[in-house]
Amino acid sequence: MTKSTKTILWVFFLIVALVQLFPLIWLIDFSFLSSNEFYSSSVLKWPSDPQWQNYINAWVDGKFLRYFINSAFVTSVTILLTVILSLTLGYAFTRMQWKLRPIFFTIILLGIMIPIHATLLPNFAIFKALGLTNSYLGLILPYTAVSVPLGTFILTGFMRSIPRAMEESAVVDGANIYRIVFQIIAPLTAPALVTVIVTTFLNCWNEFIMASTFLSKDALKTLPFSVMNFAGQYSSDYGSQFAVMVLTSIPAIVIYAIFNEQITKGVTAGAVKG
Amino acid sequence: MQKVFNNKMAIFLFVFPGILLFALTFLVPIVLSAYYSFRDTLSPGTPSAFIGFANYTELLFHDSRFWLALRNAVLLGLGFILIQHPIAIFFAIMLDRLGGKAEKWFRTIFFIPCVISVVVISKMWLSLLDPTFGAFNKMLDSLGLGMLKHAWLGDSSTALISMLFILIWAGFGWGLLFYYAGLKGIPDDLYEAASLDGASGFRLHWRITVPLLSPVITVQITLAMITALKQMETVFLTTNGGPGDSTQFLAVYLYNKAFSASQYGYANAISILFIIVCLLATYLSNKLTRSDATEF
Repeated sequence: MTKSTKTILWVFFLIVALVQLFPLIWLIDFSFLSSNEFYSSSVLKWPSDPQWQNYINAWVDGKFLRYFINSAFVTSVTILLTVILSLTLGYAFTRMQWKLRPIFFTIILLGIMIPIHATLLPNFAIFKALGLTNSYLGLILPYTAVSVPLGTFILTGFMRSIPRAMEESAVVDGANIYRIVFQIIAPLTAPALVTVIVTTFLNCWNEFIMASTFLSKDALKTLPFSVMNFAGQYSSDYGSQFAVMVLTSIPAIVIYAIFNEQITKGVTAGAVKG
Repeated sequence: MQKVFNNKMAIFLFVFPGILLFALTFLVPIVLSAYYSFRDTLSPGTPSAFIGFANYTELLFHDSRFWLALRNAVLLGLGFILIQHPIAIFFAIMLDRLGGKAEKWFRTIFFIPCVISVVVISKMWLSLLDPTFGAFNKMLDSLGLGMLKHAWLGDSSTALISMLFILIWAGFGWGLLFYYAGLKGIPDDLYEAASLDGASGFRLHWRITVPLLSPVITVQITLAMITALKQMETVFLTTNGGPGDSTQFLAVYLYNKAFSASQYGYANAISILFIIVCLLATYLSNKLTRSDATEF
């Protein structure tokens, strides 16, 4: 490719990126405005007097820290469970020999196709009867159940490409099956595991509909509720609403910035070939 | 080695917890849902009359909203396939050509909307498309296109297309990433051979890239249909199916039937049909796209 085509391409991408990110730029811009500045005719507006108060409102009244800690706890436990279950299931489906294997594999993969919304109503009834609504477990269990099918799918695809010689030599050295799975296979599947972790993180961190159905207790609510609380309470205070949206988006963007490279690698290695 | 792979205890320990969890949160609820779907429309837990297939016949033969929700899902899915995916493929190819640090940077930027919470996306677009202070109408004004100003989500003629636009904005990065990953799997020497034969530019991609990407495209088309069918949160948080059912989707419909209209039995019948439709759509699109793929 010539240098000039490359420059044109570069400029083109820059424009598209700006257009694509415009909504977020607008959101940040308007989060510094006072509500009466919203109705001016300009599309973007330099804040004459940046309203830091909007962010204080967002932090305090959005109960940001409380909800953040809840999200972090629910998401970490879900990720841990998802990784362990997908790893062991994946191994049992690709390497172990047992009769019911194809049936169970199909059942687990059905989970990718069945919409969670369709299980929402009966789950609500079951969780209510078991006293699981308004508990961390009431989110962790369904979140894990939703994440395991995709995790297993990605990991089976990846494990098939690992040569059996690894395990054979481990057996010769006297390792048992649990050591093989957790100390040999787990590190080898690391790129696919990172994909599982990141997709599980994104799905659970931002999940709203199950959380809003299963939780009503304020102390347990997750991060998306920061935004929801604001919509009612401050429906005319757009500046604070926008500030809470910006705050809510930051953690996910930071995590993504850290794992960005692994996400792509994982998709390349796991999901596409799987 | 055989002995290790046949270890019954290990198999049980590896499989049982996952299957149990999955059964408890997926399979048992579906059975329960099927049971409720044959009952009258009372709130959960309340004993109610067994009414056989009445909910289903009502849904399939007398409920235009159900069919409207299905039609909207098909339209949305077609929108994804005909608009989002060609754009994603085009961008993936261009990114791949760009190379270097810039490739990595732009790839990262294009994915950013995919990591943002659906609540933020919904509320943000609700504001962006707001008829009074929304940036979209202000932009039309400043371009001298003021006559196109509109309550984009509030008008039944533009609500579905606005929804498609929002969802494409939010999901474009995933499509791009999958196609990009697929491209990276195509060996370079194929391109070299083809350009020696005189193919270049658009022809080169049409003849080589697109056919070789066909396995990825197949999977992506299936996923696009499923995504369209499963659409819920963005709709729920912006238009809630309105105005006048113009953005109605099965998940939104069943949720509102259960929790706003308290027609629990009826909502469960929608759930069961919803599952059947999703499985059928996966099966069909797998079958159709597979037979297409063999033509290359």
